[in-house]
Amino acid sequence: MKASLSAPAGAARRPGKRLVSAEEARRLAARTRAGRIFAVVTFIPVVLAVALVGVLLLDTLLDTVSWQIVEPSSSTSGESFPWSAAPLGGREVIRLDLAAQGETPEDVQAFMNDPEELRLFEARGRIELMWRTEDGPFRWVVTNSRDDSVADIGLFGVNAYLSELRGELAEDVEDLDPAEGGLLGRLQGADLDGLFNRFANIGLLSSTLGEDQNLYLNPWLDLSFLTKNASRTPVVAGLKVALLGTLWVMGLVILITLPTGVGAAIYLEEYAPENRFSRLLELNIRNLAGVPSIVYGILGLYVFVRLAQIGPTILSAALTLSLLVLPVVIIAAREAIRAVPSTLRQASYGLGATKWQTVSEVVLPNAVGGIVTGVILAIARAIGETAPLLLVGAVGFIAYPPNGPFSRYTVIPSQIYNWIAENDVEFAHVASAGIIVLLALLFVLYGVAFYLRRRFERSW
Amino acid sequence: MTTPTVSTEPNTRANTHVGAKPFDLSQPSVRTAPVSDEHAVVSIKDFNLWYGNFQALHHVSLNIPKNQVTALIGASGCGKSTLLRAINRMNDLIPIVKTDGTITYEGVDLYDRAVDPVEVRRRVGMVFQKPNPFPKSVFDNVAFGPRLNAYKGDLNALVEKSLKRAALWEEVKDKLKGSGLGLSGGQQQRLCIARAMATEPDIILMDEPTSALDPMSTDRIEGLIHEIKEHYTVVIVTHNMQQAGRVSDRTAFMHLGVLIEEGPTDQIFTNPKHEMTERYVEGRFG
Repeated sequence: MKASLSAPAGAARRPGKRLVSAEEARRLAARTRAGRIFAVVTFIPVVLAVALVGVLLLDTLLDTVSWQIVEPSSSTSGESFPWSAAPLGGREVIRLDLAAQGETPEDVQAFMNDPEELRLFEARGRIELMWRTEDGPFRWVVTNSRDDSVADIGLFGVNAYLSELRGELAEDVEDLDPAEGGLLGRLQGADLDGLFNRFANIGLLSSTLGEDQNLYLNPWLDLSFLTKNASRTPVVAGLKVALLGTLWVMGLVILITLPTGVGAAIYLEEYAPENRFSRLLELNIRNLAGVPSIVYGILGLYVFVRLAQIGPTILSAALTLSLLVLPVVIIAAREAIRAVPSTLRQASYGLGATKWQTVSEVVLPNAVGGIVTGVILAIARAIGETAPLLLVGAVGFIAYPPNGPFSRYTVIPSQIYNWIAENDVEFAHVASAGIIVLLALLFVLYGVAFYLRRRFERSW
Repeated sequence: MTTPTVSTEPNTRANTHVGAKPFDLSQPSVRTAPVSDEHAVVSIKDFNLWYGNFQALHHVSLNIPKNQVTALIGASGCGKSTLLRAINRMNDLIPIVKTDGTITYEGVDLYDRAVDPVEVRRRVGMVFQKPNPFPKSVFDNVAFGPRLNAYKGDLNALVEKSLKRAALWEEVKDKLKGSGLGLSGGQQQRLCIARAMATEPDIILMDEPTSALDPMSTDRIEGLIHEIKEHYTVVIVTHNMQQAGRVSDRTAFMHLGVLIEEGPTDQIFTNPKHEMTERYVEGRFG
């Protein structure tokens, strides 16, 4: 054996020679094959999940961009200026619009000073003026799709739009003027069915435009989306109100759950006596983590909104969500505390530390990474909750950002739900943009959790 | 004893290891040149300890002389660690432990109701089997104990003195701010010894302090134990009989929770009086 090992590799190798008998080799091959099949089978769900998430994400992302054919109405001033010069969601636009309609400066000022008139004007959603955003490419936005002056075409809807136009033109082919006849000819000559010629047909789409019409690629998700207030008009609708609502609620949830959750975990882990009562308590906490969130919503509605008379405010929402995430926070914190090696506790006691000193000087500093990670993951779960918040006030149209724990509010998921329920097709793009922001927020939270886990990682 | 016979007794814990003869849990300890009560700094009297229903120590009585090293030896599960941890009331951390009998330290019963275990551990330091420095800097590790009670003196000087006594100062004086976990295993254990000494105890208990270390580190720790007995009374639990022979002045042999024999180390190793001690130190069981 030793001789063959030290011999040159070429000489020692004999093809076809096995270490085991043929029968055993066959069984070994079968075992190896079974293992390989098992690995493939377990890998399939991973591929499916990743593919599904990828498709959903891509679809949502693509939905945040659309083509728009824009035709300014004759009464506009035609002026353009940056979005930053149009504070409060286009007040300046209204002013210019009124001026363009021939109002005197005094009348305009009077109009601007009357909040009720302004509200009605904004509610009509017809800001028939174009402006340009400061960021991104040259971009124009006008009113909504109910207005004849704008047509919204999905990013991949170019072919569908063109074939519809071809059908319309073909119907009344006798009445067409020469230019339209030529257009019909071009449309009939084009291939509108292919999968990959959608972008190629954009050139054709721009050739269908009339004298005053412009074709623009409208990115619904840009920085201004985060700074615009809510609106019934899709192009001026933004996420600011919902984003601030979410940040307020989550900030309060952290303030409430961190001390109570960690306190409860310390008590259960370090102080609670080992008896039937504490086991019952532990069982209940684990069960509470699995209670459907709508149940917490009903509890919050009764206890906080009605009984404590806090009303449908941010504070009610934060308290309700705190109840929802507390079990998860407690479980995560307990596990982090339990992960601190008992040898460290013994070292601390052995040096004459009291129980409280051991907990505060040794256990907590070494568990903080796990605790913070657990809290963030729990918050990430709460951030997407819609159902319980619908019951405690995050419902309806909130036009202006919250200014404190006692103001009315809406949160991102609830805002997305509202947008999807709107009539205007363009709100689908706004909702998509909202979904992307929500996912980005979650991504940031998970990133922070990941970073903290790495940062506080300990080798004992 | 020479020809094993089949026992009719059920095979309980009490009569394993020792051949067929049932082990007598109430047998008196054999004592050679016993330490008188006046010379003992710690005096264990008729001490019993239970984990729930299981009795781990049976009527143990032992006097521990001041500024000497006392080694506790015996097979696994013989109760030597339990006895060691009883001296600074670490067993109190286990809720199911019950005790009976007294352990007096300079005339004070450590198990008296009026005595706070925190006080006891202040005067009786402990070094554990596995080095367990806190994930803090070297300095903070040593300063941990003094800071617990808001130490009023010069903390820097105290840390330096403790590290010097633990023969670690030269190696870490330039990296006091570095993590205690960054040291080697032997250095970590000496750091733990320095940490225990920084609370200025009178007694240091060591629970198999070298079992997780390599021979070189073990050698350093053993040398260290020799040096520190000038300042402290040391009680050491060890599985390693050569170590007990090298470092200790007195040795106590335990079996199944009973103190079988105690006396000066050279006597125990060269001239054991109890047959079981003889068999154990010769390496015939355990």
